[in-house]
Amino acid sequence: MSTVVVSRGRVRRVWRRRLVRALVYLALAVTTIVMLYPFWYMGEDAFRSLEQYQLGSGFSLASWRELFQTLPVGRQLLNSTILTSGSIALILAASTTAGYALGVLRYRFSSVVFLLVVSSMMVPLQSIIIPEFVNLARLGFVNHFYGAILVYAALGAPFSTFLMTAYFRRLPDDVIEAALMDGLGYFAIFFRIMLPLAVPAVVTIVVLQFIQIWDDLLVGLLFLQTPDVRPITVGLATIPSQHLLNVPVLMAGSLISAAPAIAVYLVFQRYLIAGLTTGIGK
Amino acid sequence: MLFTIPVLALIGSLLLYPIGQTVYYSFTSWDGYTSQWIGPSTYTHLFHSPDFVRVLENNATILLAIPVAILLPLAVALLINSHVRGWRLFRSVFFLPTAVSWVVIGFVAVRFFANDGILHDLLSKLGLGAVHPDLLAHERSALLAVMITFIWSMFGTNLIIFLAGLATIDQEIYDAAKVDGASPLAAMFRITIPLLKRFIQFTFVITLITAFTALFSLIFVMTQGGPGFGTTTLEFYVYQYGFAQSFYGLGATAGVVLFVVVFAVSMVQLRLLRVDD
Repeated sequence: MSTVVVSRGRVRRVWRRRLVRALVYLALAVTTIVMLYPFWYMGEDAFRSLEQYQLGSGFSLASWRELFQTLPVGRQLLNSTILTSGSIALILAASTTAGYALGVLRYRFSSVVFLLVVSSMMVPLQSIIIPEFVNLARLGFVNHFYGAILVYAALGAPFSTFLMTAYFRRLPDDVIEAALMDGLGYFAIFFRIMLPLAVPAVVTIVVLQFIQIWDDLLVGLLFLQTPDVRPITVGLATIPSQHLLNVPVLMAGSLISAAPAIAVYLVFQRYLIAGLTTGIGK
Repeated sequence: MLFTIPVLALIGSLLLYPIGQTVYYSFTSWDGYTSQWIGPSTYTHLFHSPDFVRVLENNATILLAIPVAILLPLAVALLINSHVRGWRLFRSVFFLPTAVSWVVIGFVAVRFFANDGILHDLLSKLGLGAVHPDLLAHERSALLAVMITFIWSMFGTNLIIFLAGLATIDQEIYDAAKVDGASPLAAMFRITIPLLKRFIQFTFVITLITAFTALFSLIFVMTQGGPGFGTTTLEFYVYQYGFAQSFYGLGATAGVVLFVVVFAVSMVQLRLLRVDD
């Protein structure tokens, strides 16, 4: 008698657990659909002509042809590439050196400089955008890549420096002490020992900044106003209004502008996650 | 010292100097060439303008999206953390929108909320075709569409932070709680949530800063700040007045207001970063 009751209770518990599991997976499946649907929508409609889109069936490359006639896609992809790589190079040059100084060498005023770097992380772009634009326009930097590159570099430098400093601080001190014993100077230690050790942090910065700069609109919109220097994201956002109603062309443009950043994400997502969670501490 | 010169030059000339200029010019009437000191009257002028009050209301309304943008990913993070098979895949999928420009997200969102868009199709299939929300067309509802899109985009970022937080919790605590007879639900509210407190604070700060300073592209593509002033937030106001209409002084004043708000919130974040030190 008693054994029957026990086993019935156990059976019920097993079923309850299975039900909870099923509900968990159901919730995750629904979330997956909500998160992926826009991508599927983009992919499907980009490969339809306007008529096929209105009908809701069929596939063609007509909208891609129209997109390439509407936007200088190749040129704009190249512009985006120049912008992101130039900015990232500058950000890396500034942040690895500063991270080395603030995280490893720690000179007299380094805590003041570190505080300055951290507080400049809190300056929102929109708060400085007007004087920034006026200053750079006076110097004749507007509509040149180097103007926008400087702005992106300044915006990306504080967080990247913070990240590098945190990374270098975690390295054991005896690495540097051993190097000093070997008679290496500060420059040699930086180039021969620190930079090779910093590769994971450098990759994190590259990935974070690539996505940030590639996807940005405001800086490109203001600082690169002539069509020949416009990056792809800006080109897409300022697509002439008569094309705004042509959904398949818009989706094709969206897809091609998003593709490089998505590719970077898929390959390097581990580093992106690492970058995002630095700063909260473990 | 030498090694910090590049970063100091960048930050000094392109971030700190302009923020000083913004503060200075906020007390002037400025057209980009000449400026005349008119004192704090710019601020009283701004705060008495009905448009600007509307803008502040919009920013306050966006605050309502923040709890949702935190609680949804928190709930899903707890689900994923319950030893789900294929959790890495779920994580990758949910984090994907983080890589996509708000410009692109905005274009798809417009198709979703449009009069003949996906939302409407969905509702008619459910037999609710009569509801016909057409959120983007109305001054009072367009912001809701922007907020929903924002929550969707923020989901992955906050999820990753919560998953990182959950990974720091020692499994032994749960085993101990089980021995003490705590139900899974009690363990969640008494152990998990309190231990995640720091991470919840962190998501709050970055969600708020994103909501106030990073929605420009989304608003630019989805609504251009309209209809009326329906979706003009502080940051969009700076753009509109500073560039579209060349009221540089007024734009600078609004920029200072934005800076003060972000700075105040960031002080909380600074405290969180200190913990790491």
